[in-house]
Amino acid sequence: MSIDLKPLPQTYFEDVNVGDEVPGFSYKLDWTEMVKQVSGSQDFYAVHHDPEFAKSGGHKDIFYNTGWTRANLYRLLADFAGPDGWVRKLHFEMRKMNRPNVTIQVRGKVTAKEQTAEGNLVHLDVWIENEEEGVATPASGIVILPSKA
Amino acid sequence: MKVPESQFDIEAIRKAYIGRKGKRKDGLYPVEHDPIRRHEHMTHGLNPLFLDPAYGKKSKYGSNIAPGVMTDYFAGDGTWPSWGGGPDIGARMGADPELDVPTLGDRAINLSTTWEFLAPLKIGDVLWSEPSIADVYVKGIKIDPKAVWIVNETRFYNQRNELVALSRNTGLRHRAPEEVAAEAAKA
Repeated sequence: MSIDLKPLPQTYFEDVNVGDEVPGFSYKLDWTEMVKQVSGSQDFYAVHHDPEFAKSGGHKDIFYNTGWTRANLYRLLADFAGPDGWVRKLHFEMRKMNRPNVTIQVRGKVTAKEQTAEGNLVHLDVWIENEEEGVATPASGIVILPSKA
Repeated sequence: MKVPESQFDIEAIRKAYIGRKGKRKDGLYPVEHDPIRRHEHMTHGLNPLFLDPAYGKKSKYGSNIAPGVMTDYFAGDGTWPSWGGGPDIGARMGADPELDVPTLGDRAINLSTTWEFLAPLKIGDVLWSEPSIADVYVKGIKIDPKAVWIVNETRFYNQRNELVALSRNTGLRHRAPEEVAAEAAKA
């Protein structure tokens, strides 16, 4: 069996402007996603998959783990950077929770761009939001983009 | 490490712990495809640079690479599915006793993480890491005026000892509300 994945589009430094929005992606946190969270992060702490265990600790329900959180934020940056770009930095803050049955939106916005000895740097605010908590995970990132020149 | 207030001297702790390095940790497995596939399934990601061997071979890296946030996964020995939480959380999560900073409480909150990604993680790379304490300080939070904040820094290297990533994690340890109330009652 082979896979046929399309190359991601390339973003170039010249085409990016401060204020540009990165539409990102969205999906509902149903129980299949919960299982994928555990599989993909290999975080087996029960507070992230066992509602009774989570409730016994004073939580409203299970909540999605750090590995899942950073993976989604990184995906947004890596998709934006494209095949010849590079995700240089990711900072995120675990302020609120992403719980079952909400729909998450992973989005971003360009806040600055600069040319340095390291390359063409684009700074972004990125975040995960859901309808229950609003912005649950504020974050920021820096990607290095190729130039058309 | 929870200690009684009589043994808690933040200036002495700062002097002893800031800059202290923990033991080197070696990744159990090399960077490999299947964990990357599961990681990408988790986010609905379809990046061929991570997932398609033929595409990776033709890429500028000559191989698939792993998402940078998987660095600590490949530099560690992982947790195991039989564990779902419990009092041995420190040991299970690979806490280094050398870096177990004395604190007044043992309730933990993880606050923020910063990753810097410096070089690609190629399929077959073997990673290792070196943890350290970057900062320790007392800063009150709503539920504990003497919460202890700890900044851990971990540097990650590949088999050529090239620095591939570093992470700085800020967390705190606080006392349970009844411990804070007991102290207030004493005063």
